[in-house]
Amino acid sequence: MTLPILPTSVVGSYSMPGWLERLKTEYHARRISKQDLDEIHDTAVKAAIKDQEVAGIDIITDGELRRDNMIDYFVERLPGVQFDRSSKKFYYDFYDCEVLGKLPSGPLGLTGDFRFLKANTERETKICITGPHSLSKRIRNKHYPSEEAFAMDLARVINQELKDLVKAGATRIQIDEPYFSGFPEDLGWGVAALNELVAGVNAFVGVHICYGNRYGKPAWEGSYRYLFPKILDAKVQQVTMEFARRGGEDLDLFREFSAPFEVGVGVIDVKTQAVETPELVAERIRKALEFIPKERVVVLPDCGCLHLPRNVAFAKLSAMVEGAKLVRKELGN
Amino acid sequence: MLLQINHLQKTPAANAAHDVIDALLSLLEAGQLEAGQLARLRVQLDWIQYRNNFRESVMAVPCGNSPEVSIAALDLHVNTRQFGKDSLQAEILDAISGCKENGTQHAARIPLEEFCSFHSSIAWEFNRLYWHRLADWERATGRGYEQALPGGKSDAHHPEAIADGVADFWTLLKDMEHHNQLPAEIFVLEIGVGLGKRAALWLDRFQELDQQRGTSYYPRLKFLLGDYSLATLERSRPALQKHAELCSFVVLDALNPIRSLSFLRHKLLHIHLTNVYDNLPDEELARRDGRLYLVQVRAYLPKAEAERICKNAEVSLGELHRNVNRLLEIGPDFFASRSQGVVFWQEVWKGLRLEERLVSLEELPAETLPEGLGLARMEEVLRNAPSDVRFHLSTGAIESLRNTLPLLRPRGYLQVQDIFVTDLNDYRTGFYGPGKVDGSIVNWVNGVLLREVAERAGYDLHFAPFHYRPGSHTSVLYTTQRE
Repeated sequence: MTLPILPTSVVGSYSMPGWLERLKTEYHARRISKQDLDEIHDTAVKAAIKDQEVAGIDIITDGELRRDNMIDYFVERLPGVQFDRSSKKFYYDFYDCEVLGKLPSGPLGLTGDFRFLKANTERETKICITGPHSLSKRIRNKHYPSEEAFAMDLARVINQELKDLVKAGATRIQIDEPYFSGFPEDLGWGVAALNELVAGVNAFVGVHICYGNRYGKPAWEGSYRYLFPKILDAKVQQVTMEFARRGGEDLDLFREFSAPFEVGVGVIDVKTQAVETPELVAERIRKALEFIPKERVVVLPDCGCLHLPRNVAFAKLSAMVEGAKLVRKELGN
Repeated sequence: MLLQINHLQKTPAANAAHDVIDALLSLLEAGQLEAGQLARLRVQLDWIQYRNNFRESVMAVPCGNSPEVSIAALDLHVNTRQFGKDSLQAEILDAISGCKENGTQHAARIPLEEFCSFHSSIAWEFNRLYWHRLADWERATGRGYEQALPGGKSDAHHPEAIADGVADFWTLLKDMEHHNQLPAEIFVLEIGVGLGKRAALWLDRFQELDQQRGTSYYPRLKFLLGDYSLATLERSRPALQKHAELCSFVVLDALNPIRSLSFLRHKLLHIHLTNVYDNLPDEELARRDGRLYLVQVRAYLPKAEAERICKNAEVSLGELHRNVNRLLEIGPDFFASRSQGVVFWQEVWKGLRLEERLVSLEELPAETLPEGLGLARMEEVLRNAPSDVRFHLSTGAIESLRNTLPLLRPRGYLQVQDIFVTDLNDYRTGFYGPGKVDGSIVNWVNGVLLREVAERAGYDLHFAPFHYRPGSHTSVLYTTQRE
């Protein structure tokens, strides 16, 4: 599938409807069955796919609507991780979870999600996986000698899942590591765990690093300078970051350090419901092009659209697509 | 008939209960109350009031929209500290017969509005007028508003509380600096500034601590003082003269601070409010037999009171409504002399009462509940609450909270010093407003609902007792970032 220059994509999650939030919470309260919830998820995912297609996104995801949050979907699937189902009051809460022994290997079952996505779209697809550093920050470690050792073993287990995804036809994989920004001191071993995770995975792999989007607000603040130069050791082809809400001040880091990556440039602020105009999006893309060659720019929102109302998320994605078209035209494409 | 007795110390509950039951049975035997009516009465003793309040000592509140008083359930609230034993029977009869034809006018009352949610009542227009024309009110009464507070002064200025608050904030800044997270500009906001005393004390203490510890945070401070009254902001200015270079005075609505400060989204490290939430428009819900009802109110003046006020103001009774509306639109200057206008204002306010009725939430638009707290959520919150309970919705406080939290920077926190109900069970055993404090309204704030709304916005709320003054009802709400 040929992508245009400045292809558009999403970071992962799409708007979570209020009714789905209530039904997920009902499921946790054991008031609806798993079978019913699975059917509800299938329907919601199809709608999210359709919205991305209609908005004109080039590389789409399943909207991650099956996931309660970026951590628990993996907690529930990682063999050897203990969690308390009753620890959630609201579906979006984190499980209280811990690891008590060495993680056994085993499938996580993400290939089913991927196959469902592929079966329901002709577009280029991407699947998003929470990275070992972020998981190690949320799962209480009661076995490994260090967080680093735990993260490395998480990487080992999930690596097999990535290979299974590739076998199932996945060509684009995004690793989400927002906790890098909260714990910059971990970056050295965080990148090592990332590399362990993607070792031998024959796909186009990106890493998403933002400043958090829990409850639609930033969890940390600072400068992306902390990533450099260590991030250059990451064996990934793409890095995606937020530049809409925070401004483009850190874009010059890519020139300063001659970063070899394709850069997913966040041009949509997902922490406000104000919808950007295509002209504003175009301005943000042009700013990025001052520092990164056009062949290496992908256009994205800052982070997932989970916390935005559906109509706002759709309008923002549509504006993003239109803004990318404006710049392509200026570039003669 | 259901009888709910709130046990209060120093209240002769047994005698009061006996008197009320005796009065009701006498009315029944005299044929002035039907057996069916009695069966559907829900009598509450003691219907505790603020000393200055909006209610009669005996008040009947119809529940549901049935026009037939014999069918409608009635809540009968009796303030045992106020009723007269000799007049009790007449007061009960008057209260019940006043509900006979739902929505129509009680013969001895002059209504000033149609039934509406308390949130929309003109009572809040009086509250607004008070803050905008505070100087006129104070001139007439000869005392400042803080002297009108219970205890004669505000807990906002307690030096130890301020010193502890400053120390906590300094510790946060130090830790942020240690983690290389401290921004170049340190934004702090106080909403509801009063006379500026608290802000001045806070800044004095912060400057002192900063100098003692040699940290140079003070010059980086940007201290914003926000209030919806320009007059109040102006009055606060002199107190802050010493720190003038750091201070900005911003007219903002406490219900929606981010509307005025959107450029500071995710930028503020500390936001403080004292006794603001208890003065924001509010309304109440009641749960009866598993259903939720909104308490609607209608402001009125007792007819005798209205006649007296009109006579003093030299206006006809027919002109009363128009004069009240003009007062609320223009202020006391609407009258020939300002002092005459202030007298009219104070007399109407003093006499103002609210009659009530309960309207099923199912019959009202979904927007009746505040944003972020729909019916499904409300039912979830009430799952473990008492089955029969009447509680504040704290609409204004919830709106304010929702529109303040997005201003906080990561690791920033909100601190609210106010009067909170933190357990819905407490509504069964106490009364928490509304009351009148001078020309303004005071209402306790439903901390349970605030906590619920905050959680969905990514913050945990904590309530700590204000331990600096023994006997204080004040609590301190503070936020922590939710993981």
